[in-house]
Amino acid sequence: MKNNATKLMVRLQIALLLLIGLLMTPTWLQAQEFTVSVEIPDIKAAPYHKPYVAIWIETPQRQGVHTLAFWRQQADWFKDLRQWWRKIGRSGSPDYQAVSGATRKPGVYSIHWDGRLGTGSMLPAGDYVLHVESVREQGSREYLRQTFSYPSNKQEQLVLEGKQELGTVTLLIK
Amino acid sequence: MSVNVKLISRAVVVIASVFAVFTSTAHERFILPSHTLLSGEAPQSITVLASISNDIFHPDRPLGDSGSGRDVGELKEYFANLEYTVIAPDGKVSLDTQWAAYSRMSVADVTLAHEGTYRVGLVQPDVFMTTFVNAEGQPARLWGPSPEIPAGATKVVRRTTASRVETFVTLNSATHQAIAPTGTGVEIVSKTTHPNDLFANETAQFQLLFNGKPLTTNTKVKLIKAGTRHRNDRDEQILDVTKNGDISFTPSQAGFYLLIAETHVDAPDAADIDVKHFSLYLTLEVFPE
Repeated sequence: MKNNATKLMVRLQIALLLLIGLLMTPTWLQAQEFTVSVEIPDIKAAPYHKPYVAIWIETPQRQGVHTLAFWRQQADWFKDLRQWWRKIGRSGSPDYQAVSGATRKPGVYSIHWDGRLGTGSMLPAGDYVLHVESVREQGSREYLRQTFSYPSNKQEQLVLEGKQELGTVTLLIK
Repeated sequence: MSVNVKLISRAVVVIASVFAVFTSTAHERFILPSHTLLSGEAPQSITVLASISNDIFHPDRPLGDSGSGRDVGELKEYFANLEYTVIAPDGKVSLDTQWAAYSRMSVADVTLAHEGTYRVGLVQPDVFMTTFVNAEGQPARLWGPSPEIPAGATKVVRRTTASRVETFVTLNSATHQAIAPTGTGVEIVSKTTHPNDLFANETAQFQLLFNGKPLTTNTKVKLIKAGTRHRNDRDEQILDVTKNGDISFTPSQAGFYLLIAETHVDAPDAADIDVKHFSLYLTLEVFPE
């Protein structure tokens, strides 16, 4: 009986320590946010169809983590965003409905993400890969990747240059 | 007289070409699907082409007919014995796909009514063939289960050949039930790689099965990229088979590939047959990274 009471005390102390540890976690660890800027180049083509674009994050082991943007028209052509389709799209996991929207005309677009996953929890610390894929009907396809670590202990800006179907892509973590 | 000679020589050509179709080391054959990967909310159809041809994915002769195509002459009986199978994502086997033969190819529509991976195939059950060397010393063959072997024939080998000509097609989610082995003939099992998730410069890994068990011996596995007609080097890649029946390859280029796996087994002593041949002709599509 006394033994059990001691065990309970130890457990409570551990729980309290864990709680304090959580509360004392530096706020910058949780507060880093992402801004991805994507340029859809102005391509002179007739007919010109606006590209399907997906921007998402995977683990280095190629597990889909989160989709930041998915600009599309008809579901029949989702498969042409080949890499996004195989890793996220066709299984709907993780869910991307909230970030799905119509295709966009040429221009520079900023996507802001607070690091919160579709499950409601925050992106766990670790290494990740940002993927940007663009495909245009009667046009070409482009696929860019950039590895990054999260959280970063400083503000970080990573820049990718597309060659054809994507212009400059910037990942800002701060 | 000259007409008769012409007729006879023509008959010889026809017979020779039929022989060539059925030999275990004969012409390649394949299914070429219009699509292997589809997305969308509604059911979709694809069109598949099948042919007996040594030019990979360029058709040469038809392969398959359900009665609505052209007169295929001596191939009719062979086509009547083929099983026109489609295995749905839930594992259900359908045999009612309607193939139509044309001069150089056969075609069929396959409707993907449900999400998941379908397996489309032409399954050839055992075809009997006896090879021998005739009295004049020339190699010869005869068809049927009990052929009349001419006097003086030597090296008589009684054989059967069976094959699966297959491909996989996926609507939305890539599933595994249709890939599960049927336990008949040479098949692949998807281990780490789904056959509708192949990309250039990524290693694909499959396991070969024969009658449901790992195929490890007496086997030859080769991989040929599409378009042999448009290049000088045929470039057949021979794949190693591990002692577990595993094969792997890393395609450097996107495109359609034909994977061919063959094996043979000696029939039991008491059987009417000496050796049984089995082969798989599997079409795979590889996408660019």
